[in-house]
Amino acid sequence: MRIAEYWRTTTFRLVLLYGAVFLAAVVSLLGLIYWRTAGYMTGQIDLIIRSETRQFAAGSPEKLPEVLDTYQARDARHVNLYGLYSRDGRWINGNVTQLPPSLAVDGQVHPLDDYRLLKAPADDLVPPARAMAVILPWGETLVVGRDVTQLFAIRRIILYALLEGGIAITLLGLGLGFALSLRPLRRAQAIRLACERVVAGQLDTRLPVTRRRDELDYIAVTVNTMLEKIERLLTEVKSVCDNIAHDLRTPMTRLRARLYRLQQESGKAGRKTVKIDELIEDTDAVLRRFKALLRISEIEHGLRHQAFDRVRVRDILTQVVELYAPLAEDQGKHLVLKADIAGEIVADPELMFEAISNLVDNAVKFSPPGGTATLSLFEEGGPCLDITDQGPGIAESERAAVLQPFYRGEQAGHTEGSGLGLSIVSAIVRLHGFKMRLEGAPAGGTCVRLLLYSQAFAPKAA
Amino acid sequence: MPKILTIEDDAATAREIVTELQAHGFEVDWAADGKEGLAKAIAGGYDLITVDRMLPDTDGLAVVGALRGMRIESPILMISALSDVDERVRGLRAGGDDYLTKPFAPEEMAARVEVLLRRRSQAGAEVRSLQVADLNLDLIARSARRGGKDIELLPTEFKILEVLMRNPGQVLTRTMIFEAVWHYHFDPGTNLIDVHLGRLRKKIDPPGTPPLIHTVRGSGYMLRENR
Repeated sequence: MRIAEYWRTTTFRLVLLYGAVFLAAVVSLLGLIYWRTAGYMTGQIDLIIRSETRQFAAGSPEKLPEVLDTYQARDARHVNLYGLYSRDGRWINGNVTQLPPSLAVDGQVHPLDDYRLLKAPADDLVPPARAMAVILPWGETLVVGRDVTQLFAIRRIILYALLEGGIAITLLGLGLGFALSLRPLRRAQAIRLACERVVAGQLDTRLPVTRRRDELDYIAVTVNTMLEKIERLLTEVKSVCDNIAHDLRTPMTRLRARLYRLQQESGKAGRKTVKIDELIEDTDAVLRRFKALLRISEIEHGLRHQAFDRVRVRDILTQVVELYAPLAEDQGKHLVLKADIAGEIVADPELMFEAISNLVDNAVKFSPPGGTATLSLFEEGGPCLDITDQGPGIAESERAAVLQPFYRGEQAGHTEGSGLGLSIVSAIVRLHGFKMRLEGAPAGGTCVRLLLYSQAFAPKAA
Repeated sequence: MPKILTIEDDAATAREIVTELQAHGFEVDWAADGKEGLAKAIAGGYDLITVDRMLPDTDGLAVVGALRGMRIESPILMISALSDVDERVRGLRAGGDDYLTKPFAPEEMAARVEVLLRRRSQAGAEVRSLQVADLNLDLIARSARRGGKDIELLPTEFKILEVLMRNPGQVLTRTMIFEAVWHYHFDPGTNLIDVHLGRLRKKIDPPGTPPLIHTVRGSGYMLRENR
């Protein structure tokens, strides 16, 4: 199965959707925590800065440098920033060497990152800080600040947590999606295969039902009930048809026998005898139809009785061509056999002959005068037989219908036939597990392709 | 006059068979079930027996088997509503000589009976060539001559002519010809066999010669000398 198939499953999409929602929830939760924590810490720092500034301003101007020294001495972690500057901006005391140009002297706490520390090289990076600057009552300028590296560390931790968590959740979601999709996908596949068998005509196929009784099973059970009903209806219709054919066959045969006797008694040709001849022909046509109809059921029900054997398709084709060549020639048509291979298959030779005869009969019938019907046997994944005519062809929309009993193509006009030939072929092909395809021939006619090898119902490439 | 026994439980079918065979000049006895049929057959002297596949008391196959077991070698025509290929094989294997599926055209049945009767009278003789009037068919050299003139025949035409010449003066239905030449048992339909016979006729009966191949209206074909 390809990735695209996984992606298309409902389960996979659901898992991914859940993953995305979860990721969004985690991001917003961590974001909220960061925002709250950072806000609280900033508030605390600002509070300290403001209260220290107030203390310093309330003290005496002479002792301030000394007080600043004491504070700095107590600050073992070196997180506090102080700076005392004269009216004309000269440094007096503190670890900040000059009044930072970006810091507004307005008594408010601002973020600060362009200050210089006393005992650090000029090009050294300083940690991010928050600071405020005030003009003391006696005219000097005081800067009080605090290193907020910690705050940034927390932000980094949270960002990394988001990144790592996000990757983990995404991978987990994808993996879980694949794992959980596997089963529904397999079941969908099984259902699809079952449906394809039904479409191919195996109406006794049922969709697989598990013991879990989940929503797929509900559908499968419903579809199975439906299939059962369809099968029963079809069987009923068919058996009614068969019964009618069967019951009418005997009186029709009697009728024909009486006509025949009349014909024999009426002696030499006259107007009356010609009419009797026509009546016999019509009766024969009806009987042929009944026979063909019953033949289909016979083939369909005869599965276990058939004599399967190794058969050379080429030999059968030769026989069929021998049978039909004079007919084709009389109608000014050509019958061409191209067989590069012997085409050994396991089949019932009698039925294969019947099937191929029917197809050749059609091909000759529908070929225009001067046209050619071609039989070509070749190898393509197994023995294949193409029977091509140059007739009017079958419209793509009609191709499925022509396999149904009694269907006659619109162009068939008054061409003779029971309308059951293709149905018989279809039944024989199905019995053997072969396949029949109707295609348009390049020259405009019809090409019937028989795939003369038994094949599993492989999913068709979409 | 050949004597024929018909073992058939269905009265209507039996009447049909009897009427048709009598019309062809045979003497026909009718037995309505297997027991009566066996008794009559043993009592004897029938040139041919038709046996229905499904009888009320016994299986038609069993009747055939019993007859053959008692060394009654009259040709047997099996008549059955079962048209399955397997059924045909089983019928022939049990000792039947030909197999006819119900419902059948009476002339088809009569034609088969006649062929069976004739085959029996020919049995044993190894035939190397067939001769009807001035038409000669050499089965070894696989060549045909009429009135000293060679006739070019395609393999199919040769086979059809052989079937006709083996049964001169006898009606052969289209189905019988198809079965004898192609060895398949289904209705090839349309006028396929007619076309084959038409071509053969052109070669065998050229203008100016008395025709040997005759169309029997409503039934089939017959090869015989015009008398």
